[in-house]
Amino acid sequence: MGDDFALPTRRDALIRGGGGFGSVVLSYLLGRDARAADPAPGKAPHHKPRAKSVIFLFMEGGPSHIDLFDPKPELTKLHGQKLPASFKPVILSMGENDAPLMASKRTFKQHGKGGLWISDWLPHTAGCADDLAVIRSCWADGINHSGGVCQMNTGSTLAGRPSLGSWVTYGLGTENKNLPAFVVMQDTPTQVVNGPRNWGAGFMPAVHQGTRLEAGPEPIPNLNPPAVVGADRQKAKLDYLAALNKRHAETRLDQTELDARIKSYELAFRMQAEAPDVVDLAKETAETKALYGADEKETETFGRQCLLARRLVERGVRFVQLYHGCGSKWDSHSNLEKNHTALCKAQDKPVAGLLRDLKRRGLLDDTLVIWGGEFGRTPHSEQGNGRDHNPYGFTMWMAGAGIRGGRTIGSTDAVGLHAVEDRLHVHDLHATILHLLGVDHMKLVYTHKGRPERPTLNEGEPAEKVLRG
Amino acid sequence: MTSYARPLLAAAVLTAVPPAAPAADKDEAAKFFEASVRPILVAQCVKCHGPEKQKGGLRLDSGEAALKGGDAGPAVVPGKPDASPLIHAVRYGDVQMPPAGKMSDAEIAALEKWVKDGAVWPGAKAGGMVPAGHAARKPGTITDEDRAWWAFRPVAPVAVPGTRHPARNAVDGFVFARLEKEGLSPAPEAGKLALLRRVTFDLTGLPPTPDEVAAFLADTSADAYEKLVDRLLASPRYAERQARFWLDLVRYAESDGYRADFPRPQAWRYRDYVVRSFAADKPFDRFVREQLAGDELYPADPDALIATGFLRLGIYEYNQRDVRGQWAAILNDLTDVTGDALLGLGVGCARCHDHKFDPLLQKDYFALQSFFAGIAMRDEPVFASPAAKAEYDSKLAAWEAKTAEVRAKIDALLEPIRKKEMAVAAGKFPADIQPIFAKAPADRTPGERQLYDLAYRQVEYEFDRAPAKLKGEQKAEYDRLKKELDAVAKPADPDAMVTRDLGPVAAETRMGGGRQKPVTVDPAFPTVLGGPLPTIKGGEQTTGRRAALAEWLTRPDHPLTARVLVNRVWQQHFGTGLVATPSDYGTLGEKPTHPELLDHLAAEFVRGGWKLKPLHRLIVTSATYRQSSAVPATSAAKNDPDARLLWRMTVRRLDAEQVRDALLATSGELKLDAGGPSVPAGEPRRSVFTKVIRNTPDPLLASFDAADGILGCAKRNVTVTPTQSLLLLNGGFGLARAKAFATRVMPADGKDAPEGVRKAFGLAFGRPPTAVEAEEALAFLKGQVKVASGNGPVTAAHRLGAWTDFCHALLNANEFLYVD
Repeated sequence: MGDDFALPTRRDALIRGGGGFGSVVLSYLLGRDARAADPAPGKAPHHKPRAKSVIFLFMEGGPSHIDLFDPKPELTKLHGQKLPASFKPVILSMGENDAPLMASKRTFKQHGKGGLWISDWLPHTAGCADDLAVIRSCWADGINHSGGVCQMNTGSTLAGRPSLGSWVTYGLGTENKNLPAFVVMQDTPTQVVNGPRNWGAGFMPAVHQGTRLEAGPEPIPNLNPPAVVGADRQKAKLDYLAALNKRHAETRLDQTELDARIKSYELAFRMQAEAPDVVDLAKETAETKALYGADEKETETFGRQCLLARRLVERGVRFVQLYHGCGSKWDSHSNLEKNHTALCKAQDKPVAGLLRDLKRRGLLDDTLVIWGGEFGRTPHSEQGNGRDHNPYGFTMWMAGAGIRGGRTIGSTDAVGLHAVEDRLHVHDLHATILHLLGVDHMKLVYTHKGRPERPTLNEGEPAEKVLRG
Repeated sequence: MTSYARPLLAAAVLTAVPPAAPAADKDEAAKFFEASVRPILVAQCVKCHGPEKQKGGLRLDSGEAALKGGDAGPAVVPGKPDASPLIHAVRYGDVQMPPAGKMSDAEIAALEKWVKDGAVWPGAKAGGMVPAGHAARKPGTITDEDRAWWAFRPVAPVAVPGTRHPARNAVDGFVFARLEKEGLSPAPEAGKLALLRRVTFDLTGLPPTPDEVAAFLADTSADAYEKLVDRLLASPRYAERQARFWLDLVRYAESDGYRADFPRPQAWRYRDYVVRSFAADKPFDRFVREQLAGDELYPADPDALIATGFLRLGIYEYNQRDVRGQWAAILNDLTDVTGDALLGLGVGCARCHDHKFDPLLQKDYFALQSFFAGIAMRDEPVFASPAAKAEYDSKLAAWEAKTAEVRAKIDALLEPIRKKEMAVAAGKFPADIQPIFAKAPADRTPGERQLYDLAYRQVEYEFDRAPAKLKGEQKAEYDRLKKELDAVAKPADPDAMVTRDLGPVAAETRMGGGRQKPVTVDPAFPTVLGGPLPTIKGGEQTTGRRAALAEWLTRPDHPLTARVLVNRVWQQHFGTGLVATPSDYGTLGEKPTHPELLDHLAAEFVRGGWKLKPLHRLIVTSATYRQSSAVPATSAAKNDPDARLLWRMTVRRLDAEQVRDALLATSGELKLDAGGPSVPAGEPRRSVFTKVIRNTPDPLLASFDAADGILGCAKRNVTVTPTQSLLLLNGGFGLARAKAFATRVMPADGKDAPEGVRKAFGLAFGRPPTAVEAEEALAFLKGQVKVASGNGPVTAAHRLGAWTDFCHALLNANEFLYVD
């Protein structure tokens, strides 16, 4: 991918633009040269990939690792006391600097052959314990949601960079020409912190941005003509438009962009056929829906989305991101028990269903599933019964892509405040994800304003312990 | 003394009469290399002997590498073609290169001449050709070679070359002479209609109206086009258009970004200032000085105060407890945007280390940053005149008198909450900030004052949101009082987002930290540009640092400021600049395609008083600009498919604002007016006056690649996506415009359809339909009426539907979305 270093000409931009939504059309259009630059629907990875697709389950707001995956007996002992001086103090987002420590009220048990510790808040996930590689030593730079969510998506706490899904689309292209390569779903219509820029392409062309998919007859915004227009009028209108464009192009030779736009209308038309089919869950059996909890009130929404995620990766969509708890719902500054009880319940069965379903269909081998939020939560209490933001040490897990499950990687200190052993920064996490997709995070380069930009800001490295072991 | 500081004239003389012959030879050789040798190496050699592959261990993407050679020794022996393996190979001796086929005799001769003349490789740092080939720079050093980089040398205009092609002005001399040299010819002049549409969109962002089309066609005078250009430049629409380019560069937006993304209701005053400045053709050097240091340089000029809003446009997080980190981010943002927008140098790399490729030291980054180390950001009332102030004061006094009672009641209700919450907020900062709060204000250092001010915004926020904490009866009481208060109209808030200095002493600028030992850095200009240290003259209330930076940047002999600006204007008219990387004039950027033209434009620009309108005029009245785009690539031009050498005009897509504005203009809904507070994108005003909310951009503008207002944007992406097509085809905005457009053109009596079709084509494409097109359109309309009405009677609604479909197709057509 050395050529990515060179500055793109406009023509290159079009070809590269082809990495994302509608790539085949464009590279087809641009003729032989373009096909040489963009040989197949997908682009060549740097090394043999272990995963073709990623499903990133984003628990927005920051789930409490201390109450889910990282039990801390020492914290129970220190309950009610101030953080001992032996622990390095941190900046707390809400500033209750002297608040006492708070023990977890959860019951932890070991699960699966690997004996993974998981709390009673996640009984279904616990059933998949032997598929999970639980990373207890994650850390990040953003102490607030905005910076945290931004960094977990783009590598930087400051806005403006492309999302990880955009980098993947840019680097690997798409495998389904009629669907976007990078798809995002939200469990509620409430805006995710930072809004659509979380899946934006930053300084890259917009073709690499994530596309928000919604359930229902119009999964992609503006996919269908308004009912008042109707299919017949629309068809005739498109034919007339095609005739206008054809005549216009006849006198303008060697203008690839004009052709590209003509094709983009044709692609839009094809999407109208394919996209609704993807979101049509009527084709799934009752048993499958039940597996995801899509037939129960509390788990229906996220269950359907997890099921959709499977249907998308089945069709070659490269990067699927599901936001759970949109609008920082996991942000339990007070009343952690009530907050997490409901949120855990809403996503536990769907997530486990997704893992099981991917596995039985043989899809888990080349799909990477990631679970986690922008940070974890503090051992300090807040407002008596909540916890503050903790980017200093928190848990995420990975499954699939040939990663050996049933084990934990890294650790936090005795109270779960700082990651201490095998610390894994967000950049390392991203480098690991890219590595599993066959992409070397230091070789994937996009030149912007004279700087060779890389997805992990030239930092981080793939976590050997996650990959091997 | 380094070269850049020389007066322009002296520099020109020096170039014309070189002090020593070898330098001239070297210059000549460098030119020969760029024109005749480098293209051969790139096209024929670098694929196998470059950053990706190094067959035989050989690279030919830098002078150093070529001299060093491969496994078989040096490829080139300067001065001795016969002893150079490279020459043997291309002559097809024992070794035959390139393997695909022998080069042309001319190419071989060029390589021979190059080696014979000493194998000069300009800027012989490794990897002049492909950035991937760059060797890392030696940290901490700036060499003579660094200083010799084209963009750091003085602007050196040369005589306008002659050309056998018909030239209209100096631009054409440079462009056509180059085409001649490459064996290319300019395209013929575009037709009148194409020219009108092109130049109207370029200068005003709007399509020509049918009246303007008729007037231009009717004007058969020899200078009809020049008169048109003058009219467009004098139009208020020109300034609205030009403003957008500047607003892109300075990351203009009207919200904070980050989570809460709070609105910035006063930001529009800066936008209007930019529009006003372009309308008046304010000299660009003054425009820059006002924005960097209007408060220091022109304290009596209200516009110069509003201009300092430039320093306030970055993102801000309302609840960031890491105050120190946020302040550092704000200063970094100011440094980066100054580097990008004004110097045309991506300085960001040097924040953490000496720049790996460009001669920018980490010290340079912080020296640049320290020009901003005295700032204090505040919102303050700015009045256009003393009379305006007096009027506001009297209105405010009246309002205060009328509302004194109710405000006192509200205060009484809120005071306890404010007091409590503000105290709580002040207590929430981390350990490094607490002591600053504890200090008496007079005891705080300048740096502490800046941190305090930034932190205190979070305390003030509690004051503002106190009403939200009221409950029960108190809340009801507050709501009632607030309603009473709001019933008395308050005079419009005169605040602008202003930047001043804290006082005469700036905060310390520290470089390093972490593993590096922090050192204090004073203001200085980038080492590579040389020159004396800044002369900083502070005042009682200000450090004078920003004024010094502004004065330096706008020196007539500054090698970058004018070169960067004229290239941006060129880019507006051709899609790509003479330097294709408009904010990167460093070694990772592209070199100018027409360096002499760039210098000519820069020199003329400064000589003419830094005025943009004459620059636009020079460019758009050139024969180069007036070329047709509808010319197929000749075999000679196939090597330049993007027409960088300008052998034809390039067809260009409308940008985001042009698309939206043209939709509204064509539908007849566009409301033209002059600035003021921004409106939602649903309202039919020009896009430059619609709200720019960082986290919720308008979907139409965003999909057509509008700037995001987060990072400065020097060049928009131009993408073709199905999202755009879906938005225009099925989205509510496009459909509503189509309906309004239909209402505008469809015959009132339902009879004279041909007239309606003629009108529609005129509005959408700026031309009448051909006979065939008219026939097709009428057939389509007839068909749509039939589809809509089925077998039933035809109603007015069916006809409107059909006309809407027709107009909608025109608005989706390439002819509408692209300019020839």
